[in-house]
Amino acid sequence: MFKINTVKYLALTVAISLTGAFIAPGNVEAKNKFVFANSSPYDTLDPHTVYDVGRVATRINLYDGLMSWMDNPPQLQPTLAESYTISDDALSYTFTLRKGTKFHDGSTLEADDVVYSMERLLGMKKGAFSLFSNTIEPGTTKALDSNTVQFNLTEPSSVFLATVPALSIVNADLVKSHEVNGDWGAVWLSQNEAGSGSFALSRYDPAIGFSAKRFPDHFQGWGDKYLDEIEFRTVVEVNSRVLGLMNGDFHGTDGYLPQDQVKRLAASDNVNVLAEESMRIFYSIINNGRKPFDDINLRKAISYSFDYDSFINDILSGSAARNVGPSPNNIWGSPSDVTGYTYDLEKAKEHLALVKGPVREITIGALAGYQQTEQAAALLQNGLNKIGLKTKIVAEPWSVASAKMRNEQEMYDLLFLWKSTYYADPNNWMGELYACNQIGARNNSWYCNPEVDALLTEARVNPDQAVRAANYEKAYKLIVEDAAGVFIYNTKWFGPYNKSVKGVRFSPIGNAQEMRWIYME
Amino acid sequence: MRILFLIFNRLLWFIPTLLGLLVLIFTISHIIPADPVAFFAGENATNEQIAELRAFYGFDKPLYIQLWNYMIAVFQGDLGVSLYTQRPISQDMFARLPATLELTLVSVFVSTIIGVPLGVIAAVKRNSLIDHVLRLITVSGLAIASFWMAILFQLLFSMELAITPLQGRIDGWGPDHITGFFLIDSLIVGDWELFWSAASHLILPVATLAFPAMATIVRFTRSGVLDAINSNYVLYEQAMGFPERIIIWKYVLRNALIGTVTQIGLIFGILIAGTVVVEAIFNWPGLGLYAVNSILNSDYNAIMGFTLTTGAMFIGVNLAVDVIQSLIDPRNQG
Repeated sequence: MFKINTVKYLALTVAISLTGAFIAPGNVEAKNKFVFANSSPYDTLDPHTVYDVGRVATRINLYDGLMSWMDNPPQLQPTLAESYTISDDALSYTFTLRKGTKFHDGSTLEADDVVYSMERLLGMKKGAFSLFSNTIEPGTTKALDSNTVQFNLTEPSSVFLATVPALSIVNADLVKSHEVNGDWGAVWLSQNEAGSGSFALSRYDPAIGFSAKRFPDHFQGWGDKYLDEIEFRTVVEVNSRVLGLMNGDFHGTDGYLPQDQVKRLAASDNVNVLAEESMRIFYSIINNGRKPFDDINLRKAISYSFDYDSFINDILSGSAARNVGPSPNNIWGSPSDVTGYTYDLEKAKEHLALVKGPVREITIGALAGYQQTEQAAALLQNGLNKIGLKTKIVAEPWSVASAKMRNEQEMYDLLFLWKSTYYADPNNWMGELYACNQIGARNNSWYCNPEVDALLTEARVNPDQAVRAANYEKAYKLIVEDAAGVFIYNTKWFGPYNKSVKGVRFSPIGNAQEMRWIYME
Repeated sequence: MRILFLIFNRLLWFIPTLLGLLVLIFTISHIIPADPVAFFAGENATNEQIAELRAFYGFDKPLYIQLWNYMIAVFQGDLGVSLYTQRPISQDMFARLPATLELTLVSVFVSTIIGVPLGVIAAVKRNSLIDHVLRLITVSGLAIASFWMAILFQLLFSMELAITPLQGRIDGWGPDHITGFFLIDSLIVGDWELFWSAASHLILPVATLAFPAMATIVRFTRSGVLDAINSNYVLYEQAMGFPERIIIWKYVLRNALIGTVTQIGLIFGILIAGTVVVEAIFNWPGLGLYAVNSILNSDYNAIMGFTLTTGAMFIGVNLAVDVIQSLIDPRNQG
């Protein structure tokens, strides 16, 4: 009964819906500017409040440390320090600083800045604080003169030097001038920087990321080829990072993408995928302190029930290296003659038959949102079911899992996860994961073998590298023999970069995000 | 006067509603067995060090005392500081709010100006081919998952056709902050290049958000128009010889829109929730992403700040809907 000018309104509708559809996307990429898509948010720039892999770019590009890790396998090299000495009692580490190092505001970096940085880290109790909290007391670090700084340890530690790169040096005067109510300048430094690094902050938005310009006066100098500007943007969605790399929005992204995405990128005309064996082991914690997992035969039965080959070759398309023990294959202290466990259900049944008492339902933990942990849990569940064990899988976010890991009663029976490199020393894995004094902190297996502990303790304090290596190798074998965990693989890093990007230098600490070596052709 | 009373009446409900929301979300977020202190203290921190930090932040106190302290702070206008960034929650959140509001408001605008006319057409041409096609489109809009549609849009319009930006809010960093709305700020500074950049970056996320919203509006408008068309007053107006377009667009639509306006208010809330997915896919630096990260990190103050802010926005929009409804239909003013 009604007539209406349908065509007119449809035309209007379509016109509105297509408004702007023919606006070509802008391309404002400046030449020699590198844009990195990062999965983690840069919610703070403060180098002393975070110490994770996701936000490493702020620490290693805007700041310098006394020492730094380079290349793969990682080599420890002096950076702000030109040399160091260790006292005979191994309690004092004295660093001589390079002269004339400048902060981004033009002031000179001196020993007082190093002292303040250590005091600030210990005072804020965040980030890398826990690496030093057991060995350095607040107020004990001394500036002997403007170029000499001394760290005084509470106990000898052969690991200390390896952790020194974790201390980013901040401009003490600048930060102090922004302190409010004794907050160590935390609010100000969360959105500004006070470093001497290769790049100086030019823009920051916690919701977007940061950009930084080359610092021409950096003490290391610059060669012929370098980047003028770097930009790190938060892009949480994997698909958006991958598509952005393929169409040229980004020049690089993280090297631990799912394999299907790595293959997709490798097939793209715009992208090169670099590959390196990293130092990031994937394993399952077994709660050794809880019955019936205190029975070595049950732990061995579990270790023989995981199908390692299927997981690495089928599920991960061969993108990881089998790693049979508690530290990465490619670090010293990992013996090469250990065969570890294989998928062998007959042997699993033999060990299960030796277990004293009944075995209750086993809770296998996985990290929600981390597909590999859930796939590994399902694969182990399948193996355990075949030998007659009942299991249930619980997938929870990291914030929940990390809290449960510190509580013996709430901890899962097993939990799949990774252990990354924070410093390239076997203590990063074996010393933290299996030493008795770490129980409830990093030792979430409640594993305490006195023989292993004695080896790890001596390796932690003995300055003789040969002794340390021998100790770690013995400890490694004992931990595997005890089936203290289910050790699966060492990660390979597949760094995708735009084909114009050259000079990438990968180190497991930093994951190739140190930009001073990179240039574009 | 009646409208003022209506506004006053609704505002009275504002406080207990927000209070209930505060208690509910505070309790839920704190009883989840996560430990943000263990999270940011670092993997190597001892249990004693974590306990010390927990006491510093007051997390060792009974939950009702923590709740009481938080409520007192909120009533003093203090949403607290983020456990991770150390910055005030209000600073972190309001920096992101314009991005989400711009995306949501443009989506509501687009879905309304498309959805209402299409709803009228579907009603007037009911059971015709056009009506059937529109039904197919609207059912699709309601059924298709937004994350899937977003990725399809990216693949088609950005990767294959290369006519829209793939992700982000603008090329580069955007104009200096004036209002935080890039469309407005770029116009204020008179930079047309920035304006078009901001507008082009809105196309795909707005299309993703607006499509299901438009579908809802089309269905409600169609239903409202059909009800109104069959009213006696329409028959009377036809008998009086009023032009059909006047009857439809002036008299029928005004009555039909009552239900649609209510829906638009609800859609605003749904779109705010929908931005969580859309912001992640299109890398849109808004509140949705902030909320996700806060929840993953168990950053209690940030979770509470987000919930209270969006709750207040939702209540505000519903108040506006009530006022608009009263203006459209004076019977509601009582």
